[in-house]
Amino acid sequence: MNEEQPYTVVGGRGAMTVFEIYIKTTPERLWEAITSEEMRKRYSFGVGTVSDWTEGSEYKAAVPGVVEIAGGRNLEVDPPRRLVQSFTALWSEQVRGEGESRVTWEIEPVGSSCRLRVTHDQLGEDANNELYGGWPMILSGLKTLLETGENLDTPGSLRYSGAAG
Amino acid sequence: MDEVFKALADPTRRELLDRLFERDGQSLSALEERLPMSRFGVMKHLRVLEEAGLVTTQKRGREKLHFLNPVPIRLIHDRWVGKYAEPWASALSELKRDLEQDEASKEDAR
Repeated sequence: MNEEQPYTVVGGRGAMTVFEIYIKTTPERLWEAITSEEMRKRYSFGVGTVSDWTEGSEYKAAVPGVVEIAGGRNLEVDPPRRLVQSFTALWSEQVRGEGESRVTWEIEPVGSSCRLRVTHDQLGEDANNELYGGWPMILSGLKTLLETGENLDTPGSLRYSGAAG
Repeated sequence: MDEVFKALADPTRRELLDRLFERDGQSLSALEERLPMSRFGVMKHLRVLEEAGLVTTQKRGREKLHFLNPVPIRLIHDRWVGKYAEPWASALSELKRDLEQDEASKEDAR
């Protein structure tokens, strides 16, 4: 292997991961699904994300009284195209030790669909793959919700739904 | 979905995905190393993977880096495996892994 690669992607699947999905919807509906607490719950393991979605504001993803999942700040908020967030995982002692990383959501209209690209970067070397391993399931559930109005009901996809109130 | 199956139905393309799984975000030059194939051949395979959505790219400086995008495979999983068989499928693949690891450690001990 060439040890002199002129870039800094290292360790595990890399200090940066990129996930892409095409969803038949509008940028506005997609933006709403990302920023609405109730919609978010339906495709993020039952976990809602709360924020006022202004630049510099905080956000928190949790099942109140049950488990805290993640938190951070909204670094760039440009509806309905681009959202950049700092990301600190909180769901276990191990992932808390990983510190802060960054998640960028980019929405690009393509024909009658949207391309959603989620880039999770500024991860540590050999970052715990739990940090980014949930994205494929979340994005698959988001697509199902927007295209059919239904919840994806694969095992695990609604892990915390019904856990609180 | 046809494109995903077509893209996966080739050992070189699966090898390229394996390499990205091992180390994400590689350039064409890094990926073509050790492959008994021209740069052009590797480019063609990467293009098929990109068209199927299994590989995404991002520019960094003058370089184009390739990333494994597992989302289309997740969609296939959710369509056929997820609803009915996930506990079975994961139990069986764990069993396979455990048994194969046992075999491997026995081999080492010999």
